[in-house]
Amino acid sequence: MRKILVGMSTCGMSAGAKDTYAELEGLLPEDSQDELTITGCIGMCFREPLVEIREGQTRTIYGDVDPKRAAEIFETHIVGGQEIPEYVIYKTEKDEAVSGSELSFLADQERIVLRNCGLINPESIEDYESRGGYQATRKSIEELAPEEIVEEMKTSGIRGRGGAGFPTGLKWSFAAGYSGEAKYIVCNADEGDPGAFMDRSILEGDPHAVLEGMIICARAIGGTHGYIYCRAEYPLAIHRLQLAIEAARARGYLGENIMGSDFVFDITIKQGAGAFVCGEETALFASIEGERGMPRIRPPFPAESGVFGQPTNNNNVETYANVPWIINNGGQAYRSYGTEKSPGTKVFALAGKIAKGGLAEVPMGMTIEKILFGIGGGIKDGREFKAVQMGGPSGGCIPASLKHTPVDFENIPKTGAIMGSGGMVVMDDTTCMVDMARFFLAFTQEESCGKCTFCRIGTLRMLEILERITRGEGQLEDIDALTELGGRIKEASLCGLGQTAPNPVLSTIRYYMDEFTAHIVDHSCPAGNCPALVDFVIKAENCTGCSICAKVCPVEAISGVLKQPFIIDTEACVQCGKCLTSCNFDAIFKVGKKVAAK
Amino acid sequence: MAKLTIDGKEIEVPDGTSLFDACRDARGEDLPHFCYHPDLSVAGVCRLCQVEVEGMPKLTIACNTGVRDGMVVHTRNERVTRASKQILEMHLINHPVDCPICDQAGECGLQNQYMAHGLYDTKVEKVDKVHKSKAQVIGPHVILDQERCVLCSRCVRFCAEVTGTGEMGIFNRGDRARIGTAPGVELDNDYSLNTVDICPVGALTSRDFRFQKRVWMLKAADSVCPGCATGCNVRIDHEAGRIYRLKPRYNPEVNGRWMCDKGRMTYKAVHDENRLGDPLVGGKVETWDGVAGTLAKLVGEGGFGLVVGSPYQSLEEIHLLKSLGKDAPLSGGLADSGQGTGDDLLQDADQTPNRKGLELLGVAQHDGPALADLIRNAAGSVLILGGDPAADPTVAAALTEKDSVIYVGTHGDKTAGLAKVVLPGCMWAEKAGIFVNRNGRLQEFKQAVARHGNAREDWRILSELMTVRNNPDVPGSLKGVRDELAGSVAADVDLNKLPARGFLPGGEAR
Repeated sequence: MRKILVGMSTCGMSAGAKDTYAELEGLLPEDSQDELTITGCIGMCFREPLVEIREGQTRTIYGDVDPKRAAEIFETHIVGGQEIPEYVIYKTEKDEAVSGSELSFLADQERIVLRNCGLINPESIEDYESRGGYQATRKSIEELAPEEIVEEMKTSGIRGRGGAGFPTGLKWSFAAGYSGEAKYIVCNADEGDPGAFMDRSILEGDPHAVLEGMIICARAIGGTHGYIYCRAEYPLAIHRLQLAIEAARARGYLGENIMGSDFVFDITIKQGAGAFVCGEETALFASIEGERGMPRIRPPFPAESGVFGQPTNNNNVETYANVPWIINNGGQAYRSYGTEKSPGTKVFALAGKIAKGGLAEVPMGMTIEKILFGIGGGIKDGREFKAVQMGGPSGGCIPASLKHTPVDFENIPKTGAIMGSGGMVVMDDTTCMVDMARFFLAFTQEESCGKCTFCRIGTLRMLEILERITRGEGQLEDIDALTELGGRIKEASLCGLGQTAPNPVLSTIRYYMDEFTAHIVDHSCPAGNCPALVDFVIKAENCTGCSICAKVCPVEAISGVLKQPFIIDTEACVQCGKCLTSCNFDAIFKVGKKVAAK
Repeated sequence: MAKLTIDGKEIEVPDGTSLFDACRDARGEDLPHFCYHPDLSVAGVCRLCQVEVEGMPKLTIACNTGVRDGMVVHTRNERVTRASKQILEMHLINHPVDCPICDQAGECGLQNQYMAHGLYDTKVEKVDKVHKSKAQVIGPHVILDQERCVLCSRCVRFCAEVTGTGEMGIFNRGDRARIGTAPGVELDNDYSLNTVDICPVGALTSRDFRFQKRVWMLKAADSVCPGCATGCNVRIDHEAGRIYRLKPRYNPEVNGRWMCDKGRMTYKAVHDENRLGDPLVGGKVETWDGVAGTLAKLVGEGGFGLVVGSPYQSLEEIHLLKSLGKDAPLSGGLADSGQGTGDDLLQDADQTPNRKGLELLGVAQHDGPALADLIRNAAGSVLILGGDPAADPTVAAALTEKDSVIYVGTHGDKTAGLAKVVLPGCMWAEKAGIFVNRNGRLQEFKQAVARHGNAREDWRILSELMTVRNNPDVPGSLKGVRDELAGSVAADVDLNKLPARGFLPGGEAR
């Protein structure tokens, strides 16, 4: 009997996995011995839809499986018993990778958090149990005293995976020290950074791991009820969490008398309505309570007074997903991964101009270069690596020159970026850094809750200045104004959103001053990105003189003789971009204005 | 106790004091602020009260920082001043400069802070201001201008924490954030005008006061609200004989910093069209000289058969009334008059200001039929001091039968219509006196505006009547009345020098 697994996370489904699944379902005879099932994301989003055929100890994963290819694989592999090597992206025998075109993607990964993602059916509690699921819960209830659990977490040295990196064991011990009418265990699943999808993939691929982490936490610190605050934009994650909670209740892992003990704990999902600021824990608590999601002042800290004024422990999805592994294998084992001050592994979402966009879990301390080039396959279309944005709108960009920086809580902040929750947005030479800063600031400006003066009004002022610069109307004094205003916003904001909002701008000023001056002084966008500051040019070598561009140009700025290279009159051009999209020979480029004139 | 150094000055404050309060003590003035309010929770949003605490990397907001022993704090150094200037710059970017037509101008937090800490020379190039809704009526008493709002959230916290009604909220995000009420919800609670008081700018203004007067023209008199037995301490803002508004006056023992909307409107009766401005005899206007003969006949010959007071009159007046009716039966008026509904906050069900004063002086009150009987059985003229007892039909019937009723009143009410002689007295804002509130606290109200028409202060009218009766002890001044009264109130009290927060015989209950 074989198992046919279709990757059915959001990444797979948006690539067409539902059609692939339907195709296979239609082809599979009703009396087949083979089982068709679903699984979560294994991380190789760039090759979705993925189909795995598992036979004994052999796993063969096919990539880019559209319905047509699915039929082919069905005929040849499932019916004929012959694998199709050119479609195989990853194949293992007895957990050893043996062949496939994407071996390098997984070769350097260490999968603790993602241990089950892409291996099990996330909607089946049996699958989770077959991989050792809920054994850590049993151990926590039957073998360990609550203090011992906290101690184990401290030993592991794990630091909060939501971005700030606060030692989890220490946090638990704080909450353990307070008592109230209730004690809440909160899971922050309000993943909001543009380009980040770690938490979503974990929830879609292995929801029980998160539940188990929360149950163990509750056991350790005396939690009475759990809330998973998940953004409503993750319907599949919410659906699978709901199924998981119901299955866990049916098994007696949640509810009264958990595993026959007197331990009582249950979990509720609270859907967020799409406010970025609700990822900030105090705003998240307010939202759980049904109040407007606005940060509250600290102290009191959540350990003392959080949700409904009761002692509360709040961790990120990824942090909780680590917990069962740590309890099963011991804190010391966890410490063997990563660096001394940043032990363990971290999941990163690779996005932007990267060849292999997806999810990768690596030991802390791996260099940026190794993650992006070793695992991520380098830059898309072979272009030049310019920078990577870490930490989303709260983070900053790290230029290519710092690609040897180890990724951990000690070294990343030195670059001006932050670890963040794990989003890595890669930029190539066509990315304008001024525009990138403008994009992230526009995001935080839009998402500021409006509570603190500087965050509310200051971010808008910064955005206006950046917009002016990208239009070529900036002045050199603007850079001082941005720096000063950015410093003030960081200093005078209540919550993490405001305290970090200027980071993308400040780090770009730090590393890409030349681009700012090019925009301001030369009125030119070197990356050829900002519409007002670029010229469209025709590269003579590539131009076949087909005249299509001249025909689509609405202002007759393109002229030439048929079968000779055409030229664009940059004075007449209105930068509409029609020529560029109509050209079939990649002959038209955008370049910074003055650069073209030189 | 914690010892700390603020701007080089060493001060000692109790543990648990907020740094905001400690800074006020040391500086002799508040730190600049919009959102902090001593009676509301700390919001920490305006960031204006930022100070530098040595050892802390960032500036910190004083309102949300507790004092620590050994703290060294700077509130006026360059770093702090610069930060306040920049915050104000942010606020001014969107704030409409409509001070000339804004009721808040003159008592506006933003104006004041800007005078003190303004940047004056903004670095922000003018772009379009963020426009929001203006002159939005959000309740029976309050009007909202969202553009003037600095989002300090005091009104939101007031409605959430003090009244518990929660009408106000913040809507939308970022620079689009605004204060408002939810669709279909009005800011309609009994204390809504307090939001106008605590609004540091002109975002919330009173519909009653709107466009009536520039605030710097107003003069103020300390007074006590006559609206109910609570006796909230108030300030009467007036100008040229006209009252424009009442504002709560801080008294932690009585009303704190609040008062109810109904109380704020009590001044309206002072300028009522129905006010009595001249003595009336048989319904005809008379001069004070002209009425003397009638009074002499009614009082001088037959004397008083009955004197009736009311819980609306001051303690001094009730005292005089008592001595005036020495040989005649005395009533405190209708026992159940002035009853309404109270609440847990400030409003008392007893809507008279001085019923405790009647009790203090041992004046019994009677219900309608009992008072009617007293009137019918009165051998001599009947003197009624305020309170309009004829509003009760049984009393009215009894009064109709009497031809010798003297009424000292303020309005052309039922009793005025039935009395033989009507003498125009003063409303509380036109005279001075003492009310005793529900807890027995003696509180003084001072005269704010001139008497209406030819009205006279009630104590003067009463001493006039004493003269008619050839009473040798006629007081020549209110001070004299008080000196005489003091003994019957409490030992060692000088009623002419009551403390600003009033006097509770027997000491403050703690």
